[in-house]
Amino acid sequence: MAIAAYQKRAKRQLLLLLAPSAVLLGALVIYPAFYSIYLSLTNEALSGPAALNPRFVGTRNYVRLFTDGDFWNSLVVTFWFVLGSAIIGQFILGLVAAILLRRPFRLRPVINAIILMPNAVPEVVAGFMWVSMLAGGEHATLNKIVAWFGIPPQNWLATFPLTMIIIVNTWRGIAFAMILLTSGISSISHELYEAARMDGATVRQIFLRITLPLLMPTIFLYMLVSTVTTISLFGLVYALTRGGPGGATEIIGIYIFNQSFTAFQLGFGSAVAVVMLAISLVIGIAYVRLLRVQV
Amino acid sequence: MSGVSPGERARARAAEAAAGFILVLICLYCAIPFVWVFVASVDAEPSQFLKMPRSWSPHHYTSIFGQHDGIRWIANSAIVVGSATLIVIVLGGLGGYSLSRSRGWWRRPFLYTIILIRVVPPTALIVPLYKVLLTANQPVEFIVRAIMPSGLVRSSMHIVGFVNGYLGIILVLAATQLPLALWIMKTYFDTIPRDYEEAALMDGATLLQRIRKVLIPLALPGLAAAGLFAFIIAWGDFLMPLIFLSSNELQTLPLGLFRAYMRVNQMDFGFMAALAVIYTLPAVIAFGFARRFLVQTFSGGVKG
Repeated sequence: MAIAAYQKRAKRQLLLLLAPSAVLLGALVIYPAFYSIYLSLTNEALSGPAALNPRFVGTRNYVRLFTDGDFWNSLVVTFWFVLGSAIIGQFILGLVAAILLRRPFRLRPVINAIILMPNAVPEVVAGFMWVSMLAGGEHATLNKIVAWFGIPPQNWLATFPLTMIIIVNTWRGIAFAMILLTSGISSISHELYEAARMDGATVRQIFLRITLPLLMPTIFLYMLVSTVTTISLFGLVYALTRGGPGGATEIIGIYIFNQSFTAFQLGFGSAVAVVMLAISLVIGIAYVRLLRVQV
Repeated sequence: MSGVSPGERARARAAEAAAGFILVLICLYCAIPFVWVFVASVDAEPSQFLKMPRSWSPHHYTSIFGQHDGIRWIANSAIVVGSATLIVIVLGGLGGYSLSRSRGWWRRPFLYTIILIRVVPPTALIVPLYKVLLTANQPVEFIVRAIMPSGLVRSSMHIVGFVNGYLGIILVLAATQLPLALWIMKTYFDTIPRDYEEAALMDGATLLQRIRKVLIPLALPGLAAAGLFAFIIAWGDFLMPLIFLSSNELQTLPLGLFRAYMRVNQMDFGFMAALAVIYTLPAVIAFGFARRFLVQTFSGGVKG
């Protein structure tokens, strides 16, 4: 009897401890996420007649969205951006760094710290630094470097905008890939390597037959997490190019921002947000299911 | 062990040299932007480009506090991000404990919701969130107008307003960082045996006593990790201040720096570089502490 009463009280206490978090997340994440579905069916705006008197417009925003060239452009830009920076750039450099830094040597902590720095720096600072690196004119830092190889000065952000934001985001994310892959590599047992070496396997064989297959779950985790975080990027690219020139770097996050807060069309912006939410949730559910996340 | 042939030794040395060369290239790629920003911040005649300074000067740093609004930006960032981090630590600690110990029906759905929230891009939330906070702002403004003298309405709204006020941005930053903190604390409490709490319970300790005397001391490393991550991400965030803060009095460091280098025709590179260094330092220091928690955060709870 006393135990039952105690257990009931303990249960209530635990619920009470979670309540503030539930309220905050409910009000500022979950409710807005559902509210965006409603908003996307209206012509809500921040200025003009629709701002005073928003109307229900059905699926008009979605029809407009899917026939809008700028929207498809932003999806394509986002695709190349994720592929170039998260899937290829950060992954390959992170893997190379993880393998080369596997064994301890004197300078290892220093190199580790240098690779980690770009990951720690705030988005706007990263943008500010790279605007300077990539500036036009023969005195600009990158132009001076490429001049050693006989390449004439370029206005990098104007001429190769998408490639440049990929290079900057790769720079920023090497550390994350390296850390995750290092933990994956260090969990592979040393005996396997010993045995392979005994059998006379070459470095290449060891990498392709032991390291890579056993690293697969880690690589997969990395791909999912980095894809999700790269899709949701905003500040780094906005600080660099604000989506320009001519939409060449308008990743989906910047497209939403420009439609909603530059063109003030909240209803239309919400329709884009709903599409983006759907894409992210699909990846999120894949993450939970494929990696069998235990809760 | 048979001797290593000279050919093999030469090949091993070549491989080592290649590895060293690749590492040097990666390090240059990572470090050059930082070298520029630091050199420009102490160069008496800074430029947009990397060069050896002819003379050094600390005056860009002093000008942040003298001629510019630097102190205000730093204070705003500290207030906003500090408060959000504090909220995240408190709510994350309590909620994480609850999620770890409870066997209620709501536990699983809540945890899955947290994971899904973590993949929701902030950019997808800004539009509805802006609308929600704009609506919530109206009653607040009504009350403030009713109780404050008219001269103080504006500055009061800067504190308690949901849009263009400290309160709104603090809650928004806290809400975006809370899921990760809840997850970290839940997995952390999972590793702490219940024996301690049960012993305290036997001694007749109340819930508050148990939290203060037993759980907080035990959970300190977890709370530190949760707080560090919340701080780093909120400190570096640019999107939320850009949308929710517009008054000059409320500018935070990212907005101040961004607007300074958007004024294309009058860029003061020394000032901006010094500001960037000051803005970066807390993040780098916190990152140094948070590093060892990084892996657990992303692979925690994953069974491959």
